[in-house]
Amino acid sequence: MTRHTDDDGDAGESNEATESSDGGYEGPTPGVPESGRDEQPSVFVPDEGEAAETDATAGDRAATDGGVESASAGADSTELDPDAYDPVDVFPGGDLDLREGADSCYKCTSCDTSCPVAEVDDEFPGPKFQGPEQWRLKRKDDHDIDESITSCSNCMRCDDACPSGVPLSQMHNEARGQFVERQMEKLSVEYIRNRVLANYRTSASLASMFPRTASFAMNFGPARWAMEKVMGIPKERDFPEFATETFREWWKARGGAQVENPDKRVAYFHGCYSNYNTPEVGKALVSVYEHFGYEVMVPPQKCSGTPMFANGMLKDARRHAETNVENLVEAIADGADVIASCTSCSLSLRQEYPELFDLHGIDDVAEHTFEALEYLRIHEDLEEALDEAGGLDDERAFAYHAPCHARNQGLSRQAVETFRDVDGVKMEDVGDSCSGISGTYGWKEEKYEKSMEIGAEMFEHMEDAEGEVGMTECPTCAMQMEHGTGYEIEHPLQLLEDALGA
Amino acid sequence: MDRQVDVVVVGGGSTGCGVVRDLARRGLDAVLVEKGNLTHGTTGRMHGLLHSGGRYAVSDQKSAEECIEENRVLRDIAAHCVEETGGMFVKRPEDSEEYFQEKLEGCKACNIPAEVIDGEEARRREPYLARDVEKAIALPDGAIDPFRLCVSNAADAREHGARIETHAPVTDVLVEDGEVVGVEIEHETGPGKRVHREPGTTEEIRARHVVNATGAWAGNVGEMAGVDVEVRPSKGVMTVMNTRQVDTVINRCRPKGDADIIVPHETACILGTTDEEVDDPEDYPEEDWEVDLMIETLSELVPALEDARTLRSFWGVRPLYEPPGTGTEDPTDITRDYFLLDHGDRDDLPGMTTIVGGKLTTYRMMAESISDHVCETLGHEATCDTAEAPLPGSEDPARMEELMDEFGLRSPVARRSGQRLGSRADDVLDEYNPNPIVCNCESVTRAEVQDAVDDAGSDLNAVRLRTRASMGNCQGGFCTHRIASELAEEYPEPVVRDAEDELYQERWKGQRHALWGEQLSQAMLNHLLHATTMNRDGDPANLDGEVDFGAFDAGADAPGADGSGGDTGTAAADGGRASDDAATDGGRASDDAATDGGR
Ligand SMILES: Cc1cc2nc3c(=O)[nH]c(=O)nc-3n(C[C@H](O)[C@H](O)[C@H](O)COP(=O)(O)OP(=O)(O)OC[C@H]3O[C@@H](n4cnc5c(N)ncnc54)[C@H](O)[C@@H]3O)c2cc1C
Ligand code: SF4
Ligand code: SF4
Repeated sequence: MTRHTDDDGDAGESNEATESSDGGYEGPTPGVPESGRDEQPSVFVPDEGEAAETDATAGDRAATDGGVESASAGADSTELDPDAYDPVDVFPGGDLDLREGADSCYKCTSCDTSCPVAEVDDEFPGPKFQGPEQWRLKRKDDHDIDESITSCSNCMRCDDACPSGVPLSQMHNEARGQFVERQMEKLSVEYIRNRVLANYRTSASLASMFPRTASFAMNFGPARWAMEKVMGIPKERDFPEFATETFREWWKARGGAQVENPDKRVAYFHGCYSNYNTPEVGKALVSVYEHFGYEVMVPPQKCSGTPMFANGMLKDARRHAETNVENLVEAIADGADVIASCTSCSLSLRQEYPELFDLHGIDDVAEHTFEALEYLRIHEDLEEALDEAGGLDDERAFAYHAPCHARNQGLSRQAVETFRDVDGVKMEDVGDSCSGISGTYGWKEEKYEKSMEIGAEMFEHMEDAEGEVGMTECPTCAMQMEHGTGYEIEHPLQLLEDALGA
Repeated sequence: MDRQVDVVVVGGGSTGCGVVRDLARRGLDAVLVEKGNLTHGTTGRMHGLLHSGGRYAVSDQKSAEECIEENRVLRDIAAHCVEETGGMFVKRPEDSEEYFQEKLEGCKACNIPAEVIDGEEARRREPYLARDVEKAIALPDGAIDPFRLCVSNAADAREHGARIETHAPVTDVLVEDGEVVGVEIEHETGPGKRVHREPGTTEEIRARHVVNATGAWAGNVGEMAGVDVEVRPSKGVMTVMNTRQVDTVINRCRPKGDADIIVPHETACILGTTDEEVDDPEDYPEEDWEVDLMIETLSELVPALEDARTLRSFWGVRPLYEPPGTGTEDPTDITRDYFLLDHGDRDDLPGMTTIVGGKLTTYRMMAESISDHVCETLGHEATCDTAEAPLPGSEDPARMEELMDEFGLRSPVARRSGQRLGSRADDVLDEYNPNPIVCNCESVTRAEVQDAVDDAGSDLNAVRLRTRASMGNCQGGFCTHRIASELAEEYPEPVVRDAEDELYQERWKGQRHALWGEQLSQAMLNHLLHATTMNRDGDPANLDGEVDFGAFDAGADAPGADGSGGDTGTAAADGGRASDDAATDGGRASDDAATDGGR
């Protein structure tokens, strides 16, 4: 079967038909070009060919630079082997059959004891039920998933806790997707609220066209009232501020990459938050990486899907994933590795993508993706570089919180270890509790109190720590840390930029 | 005990339960006696296939026709015991095309609705089927739960005045003046439901007729009456997988052979089987090669089986019978038909009839024909209505959605409870609020366990069969104690402990044949939980001597706490903790410690 590639590298929404393949998928095709798609028929619920998003992203195209020239997408991908197909993909309608994952569970309950939601929410039955037990009880034609799945915040701690490799978060994500798809009232306020929260990128890209008004309007006045009353977004939460210049605008204005180096290339997956809200994190990343002689590419991209997974909006996530995978595969073909400054984005590309979607090149993307600090620690002698730079002039102390999703990638100690010996930096780890926000979880009125209850331990430890500045890799953890303590929160890359004098 | 009943039915398998229901509904005064639980024999150790008749469509068309007829009846009267899975006979490239055609024609000849589908369609229906499966015949096979089926038959019989006695083996058949007049039974723990530690009694039940429905054991009961019944028991293995790789019954389309069928059953899949003649239905070798053969051969149809988790294996013995002098060599060639032996005609011993052979799918039809025969012998006029009257639980479809809302159950729990209880769900679930889950793997709630306890006494294996509690992937490791605790309100502690041990042992038995991979991890974890965390192997309450509670209460400062008293032995048993610790924690009398350490 032939696979043709769009040569303009466009991340946009061209509406070509995918040829219907032997599996018999004849449904309408999602509005994406084909090079990010697979020869296999769509494995998830067929996309109803929803109207392409209003193209606030059109402006991104001009920013497609950083050396993405060739479009030999997926050149190093393994060819698809028709015998290696995975029956997991083929419940009716394309749902995944994850019953077999229950084989690994021996019911030790470690997952339940490390679930932050189960700890504060008596109604939540916990990951063991939610995952292996519920899946094992499933039959092909059962479509009812217990509603409690919507209480899981997708922090993925259970994944980390399981000694036996049960694919818990995959099970939760898939069940949540099926629940939302089949059982949630599509016009309910909850559905719309969740969909708005999940599609943060759309709201954010609109807001960032008028950043000041948007920050103001979302936090005050009638809009605010409407959000709380109509949509169930808790009044206690302040919407994040939108930057006056997005990261991509800045990148374009500066003329893209300042360093060219075919031997050391990275493709930066900035995600939504450091584009629209904290471009300073993205800028710090660029300056640190250029300091070490990397050529930074900033491929076209959409949301990583993290908030969509947590809200069961798998169709939305898949659509965005198609664009992301397509563009990242191209960058990889040009010799780049993918780096992200948000630990949830990197986790999503590494774990959730291949677990939930079957897109061409998705495994290559997963394999080539790293968290930004992790990547430097692997490839550069950071210790020596920091030593040579001589540390900070004015002493600073930080209260560091490791995001759950960093923990899942084995990165929970990286910030502390990196800065441990840097003069003038004092970094205290505030412990291994969950911040409680888990992306969009804490943004729901009915979950607000639970979210704060989960976060209480972290808040307390932050107050106890010497530093008055918080530090974390995750933007939503940062919001929660700020919300609970009033501290300013920084990203380790910003400190690294300072400490290196980059 | 001089009262004479109309009929004693011996054997509480599908046949016996079916017979006693039929007789009771016809107005006869009947007693069922069974040496173990209901389904203790072959019925509790079969494959759970509700035959469409497809398996016999070539070799034994009479059986095939009976199967499809009864298949339709059971979907109706036993809806809550049946899962309408559908079935397929799949053909691999190396399987004979000629046989495939013969099978298809056979199905048509026997009125079995059959449809040929290509490999792609077969895999669309069952995605785990091997890629090289060429085509398949789809037909209405189903899955049937033998436990629920027997229990419902017995319950209906009881409602119609029958008496059901389990754990009551027949020890003698009473013959007077050349005629069978009743049986002698031994109540292991007294009459009525079984309660551990109740003293045993014996009883003579006099009856106008005795029905011997003891399947593979029919020869033994025959012997007690002095007649010869040549049953040729043939064993077959079944291997239970942890999850359902298929939701349809998958048969291999080739002439008779071992390991050619996968039946989705409740939460699991059951692979089967072999066919080997054995000498003694109680004592035959359970061999590992049989289990290996199941997994290896059936992986040709469903490759995922190779690495999938196996929960346990079990064996059953077919009560094959052939009239004296037939002399068939290979047990797979012996007919699957059933035989009604009127010992009056056959051996000049009136008063007793034996029924052997057949299969579970046709149990009702067998019961009907033997009941006709008994009625005729007794001169009792009544018609049979068992083909129309639904079994208790199958009167109406269960109301799943409502169950969820009404009883606050999470949806998979409500779904499973509804599937198991059928129309009884309301009554059963209504009893308990709150109604916590007792067995997590199979989602069995307290209400369902208590309902079974009402029926089965302290016999937790009977509770298990009724509810499926402890039949999931932990195989009782996490729930035997919780199930046993459900007895605590009604029964004294020693009874509860015995019941717990018995269930735990039974669960272990089948797992011995699955000790690799994940189930080995599970078994180790179970073992450590029970032996170490719960200290069940050294529980002071299980020891004969009095427990010295004073030693616990006095604490670390008590005299002897760090003296020679308990600490040497205890410390060793505890892994060498500091001696003052050991005393606080142990305070065990030194002789206990010694027992413990000496293991
Ligand atoms: C491996 C295997 C797989 C099978 N698969 C299927 C299938 O998928 N579908 C199908 O339709 N059929 C199947 N069968 C056949 C079916 O299981 C049997 O035909 C049926 O269960 C026989 O029931 P029964 O009541 O005649 O015998 P049993 O169930 O054996 O009942 C006899 C009872 O008598 C009791 N008993 C014995 N001695 C005494 C005594 N002295 N006093 C009191 N009680 C006594 C025993 O404890 C036992 O409970 C299978 C059989 C085997 C072996
Ligand atoms: S993802 Fe987090 S909230 Fe969800 S079940 Fe796992 S541990 Fe609990
Ligand atoms: S931690 Fe893993 S093995 Fe243990 S109960 Fe949870 S899913 Fe099962």
